[in-house]
Amino acid sequence: MLKQTVALILLAFLPAIGEAIYYRHKVSWQSPVPASETVTVDLARSWGDNAIWVDARPDNEFERDHVPGAIRLNEDRWNELLGPFLATWSPEKKIVVYCSTQSCNLAIEVARRLRNEAQIKDVFVLQGGWEEWLKKK
Amino acid sequence: MNTVSTINYQLSTERPFVWRIVDLIIGGLFIYAGILKALDPMRFAVDIDNYKTVPWFIGVRLAFYLPWLEILCGLALITRKLYLGGLSILAALTSIFIMATVVAKARGLDITCGCFGHASKYLSFAGHLALDLAILAALLVSIFSARKPSEVLPRQSVLFR
Repeated sequence: MLKQTVALILLAFLPAIGEAIYYRHKVSWQSPVPASETVTVDLARSWGDNAIWVDARPDNEFERDHVPGAIRLNEDRWNELLGPFLATWSPEKKIVVYCSTQSCNLAIEVARRLRNEAQIKDVFVLQGGWEEWLKKK
Repeated sequence: MNTVSTINYQLSTERPFVWRIVDLIIGGLFIYAGILKALDPMRFAVDIDNYKTVPWFIGVRLAFYLPWLEILCGLALITRKLYLGGLSILAALTSIFIMATVVAKARGLDITCGCFGHASKYLSFAGHLALDLAILAALLVSIFSARKPSEVLPRQSVLFR
């Protein structure tokens, strides 16, 4: 059994390495989001009307409070909310996506889907998320 | 004598058939889950990161490796090549996953396991746990029942059985 286990463990490296090579330029290997795809609260605020704020948190958290003017777009209701979001979007505007904290991944997922599925380029994840925005309110 | 040989015959034909079905179901399940994750490794990397148990640079590498391990182990169950190895790896992976899920829940983390892509979202924590425990039980029983015949097999056939 041990030999078979080792054989399978080693065999799995072959396709995994192949896939990793294929994706090597599309993956952020050191952090969930490359630094170039994140934005600080101060910088995002300085964009003013040229930025669209996107709230990736669940509905109940959005309804409790959110960044003024933010648009709700979360993964739970992606198909339903994407249309209204795209209606407000224009190519010259930057998108700032946030979720609760620095460690939450909802904003990363929404930003990734906006880039991949909606083909929007200027999408940034807010560093520190909603918590950081509250601190600098 | 006749009675004994009839009993032996029934045991050696019916039991493998039942376990063959179990192998096909579990093998197919892991192949399906592996393919879903292999098609979108970044999403799986984020799912791993949600558990907050390993740093990102390890999680993202696991996201490329684990789906292929699942697929190969699933194929091992279906083709019965490297069969015991496949069973033991899947049992170990399932056990680790169950522990990670329980720990994450205890820490109050809001997680989706990502095991079956978007479909995972519609399973509750209890649903996930029940499914995983059922899979683990089937794997452990398969290991236990498969190990017995191997003791009488010739030595050279053990690796690629």
